[in-house]
Amino acid sequence: MNRALSIATVNATRLARDRVGLFFLFVLPIVLILLLGVSFGGGFEPTLGVVSTGSGPLASELVDALAYEDVIEIDRLDGAKQLIDAVERGGVDAGIVVPAGYDRQLRSGERTEIEFIEPAGTTTAAIRTTVEAIVVDQAARVRAARFASERGAGDFGEAIQTAGLVQDQSPGIEVVVMEEGESTFEGLGQFDLGAASQLVLFMFVNSLAATVALIQTRRLGVSRRMLSTPTSARTIVAGEALGRFVVAMGQGVFIIFAASLLFGVDWGDPLAASALVMAFALVSTGAAMFFGAVLSNEQQAGALTPLSLGLAALGGCMVPLEVFSPTMQTIAHITPHAWAVEGFTEIIRTNAGLAEIALQLVVLLGFAVILLAIASGRLRKSITS
Amino acid sequence: MTAIAQTESGVPSSTDARPILDCRGLEKSYGDRRAVAGVGFEIAAGETYGLLGPNGAGKTTTISMVCGLLSRDAGEVVVNGKPLTPSSTDAKTAIGYVPQDLAIYPDLTAKENLTFFGRLYGMARVDIRQRSKEILEITGLADRADERTDEFSGGMKRRLNIGIALLHRPSLLVLDEPTVGVDPQSRNAILGNVEALSGAGMAVLYTTHYMEEAERLCDRVGIIDEGEIKAEGTRRELVAILGEHDHVSLDATGDLTGAARALASLETIAEATHRESGIDLILANASRHLPQILETVAQADAEVTSVNVVEPDLEAVFLKLTGKALRD
Repeated sequence: MNRALSIATVNATRLARDRVGLFFLFVLPIVLILLLGVSFGGGFEPTLGVVSTGSGPLASELVDALAYEDVIEIDRLDGAKQLIDAVERGGVDAGIVVPAGYDRQLRSGERTEIEFIEPAGTTTAAIRTTVEAIVVDQAARVRAARFASERGAGDFGEAIQTAGLVQDQSPGIEVVVMEEGESTFEGLGQFDLGAASQLVLFMFVNSLAATVALIQTRRLGVSRRMLSTPTSARTIVAGEALGRFVVAMGQGVFIIFAASLLFGVDWGDPLAASALVMAFALVSTGAAMFFGAVLSNEQQAGALTPLSLGLAALGGCMVPLEVFSPTMQTIAHITPHAWAVEGFTEIIRTNAGLAEIALQLVVLLGFAVILLAIASGRLRKSITS
Repeated sequence: MTAIAQTESGVPSSTDARPILDCRGLEKSYGDRRAVAGVGFEIAAGETYGLLGPNGAGKTTTISMVCGLLSRDAGEVVVNGKPLTPSSTDAKTAIGYVPQDLAIYPDLTAKENLTFFGRLYGMARVDIRQRSKEILEITGLADRADERTDEFSGGMKRRLNIGIALLHRPSLLVLDEPTVGVDPQSRNAILGNVEALSGAGMAVLYTTHYMEEAERLCDRVGIIDEGEIKAEGTRRELVAILGEHDHVSLDATGDLTGAARALASLETIAEATHRESGIDLILANASRHLPQILETVAQADAEVTSVNVVEPDLEAVFLKLTGKALRD
């Protein structure tokens, strides 16, 4: 056991010397959790660029009404050219141009147009709907005021004030949205899903990246030299596996604590979360040992990064599994990632315990046992033949 | 590195009757190919035994079985009276193995490499610390002890590679072609160290395909080819195999293959083999047959540029026994 620990300790020491490896192990996952949380984790308000060159009260009222809406944010810009630039560069999500003669045209009964600018190839339906609702609202009052002033009920200015009061006091028509069924992402914090998927992605990616060290140990003849000492092949394999398992576990635990402390991620039942991390660390270790045993040089190991990213994408680490079609969801479950992500999703969303994620744990342990068994056999063979 | 022998206090004395290594009937096949077929030898304390043979002769396979790195199809290995198998680890404590490759971690320091292998040898912490210090002094690496080995020169790595094998005071040192790819200065240092260790009572098993190394270092040599020991003995005993035969070395150009074939067909020639720049011959009464030899070479579209009658050596013995040159 002491010898296996010595081999595991050497693996950890070698890893600690690799600054790039440490960056991928501890820094990058946290940075990505932050970026994903900020970008897709909710609390997102689209920004509407507004250019209003008119100085009348109707133009001001329109812009104020837009600013009052809490579903969009207003960014006032100086001119149409500046607005187009901002839309093209993503500075704002869409924009409107209120024409210079807006008030005059409305008062005189002329037709007027508000230009809505959106980026090519993207849909900004939510922003456009909000803008249209406010414009339609104002147009109704303008029509009522002009109708009243034409029928001799005072000038347009008085009539539109009256129309506003009447509109506020009249019972309106409201569209009530009823949500049916369970919301997919209900109750999740801004960083929760991103943290879980990045945990799974990086535990696997880094384990496979560490395959290089095992290949080097074999290629340099260090493994065979270990066998020339009073150390059995079984102990060497155990030590190499233990080293990789400890690193994978260390990374998993670090991400859990860091995401919890920095971003307030609620990982649900600690026991269930720990069991999932341990099971996935075993899977990652098994995969690392397998490739470390079968690949013959470090160059071949370079292909493992795209492979591990591909498996992560298929397994729901980049896009939630719920977004997949039913067929793709079935296919996704050939990867251990999908089972791990599913397990974490259960404990984070529904505070599921060990019993509720038993299936995911059993499948992950199955993956781990198969991979470790094959890897151990191959590694022993490569050392002793 | 010349002081290595002075620190080796754990080795049995050369008067110990029991051999340090006793291996018999070693056999190993890979599929249909027999890599080692019935190899056996003994090495006493203070004795250096050389396995001399060309690449692919079975040297590394033999020492892999001796060190317990490779399972054997048949035969037995006993080290210091303890039987050795790949699964039993006891006997391995007596062996210090120096692989041909530089089997050290490049991203660990010299001290960390020594400490790691010390732990695998089951040494106590205090012993590892003390012994590592000694080895670093001996190998001339004391002032570089805390530097990563990937910053070492080739010679320094080679010294550390040997130093690791001496860490646990083995009674049998096994070196697998330790001078391959080594500059002449480091090579001389390595050979000097092996002589010193043997002089201090350590049993040494040394594999090489360099005849000069075997002649300089080894008390006894086993000539190995195609997995079999063709002959074994001291240098004098082996050279005696040649009898009245001479070793003639021709430097020549042209169709050397054809010339060697033509020479081999002569009744007077016992063995003829060609190398890159010439032909080696084993024959009796060389001076009497030289004209016939030169004429045969000329007829085979080759030209002799110089003729040397070499003092009988292990190269000639190997040629006589196998019909091949050691360099083949």
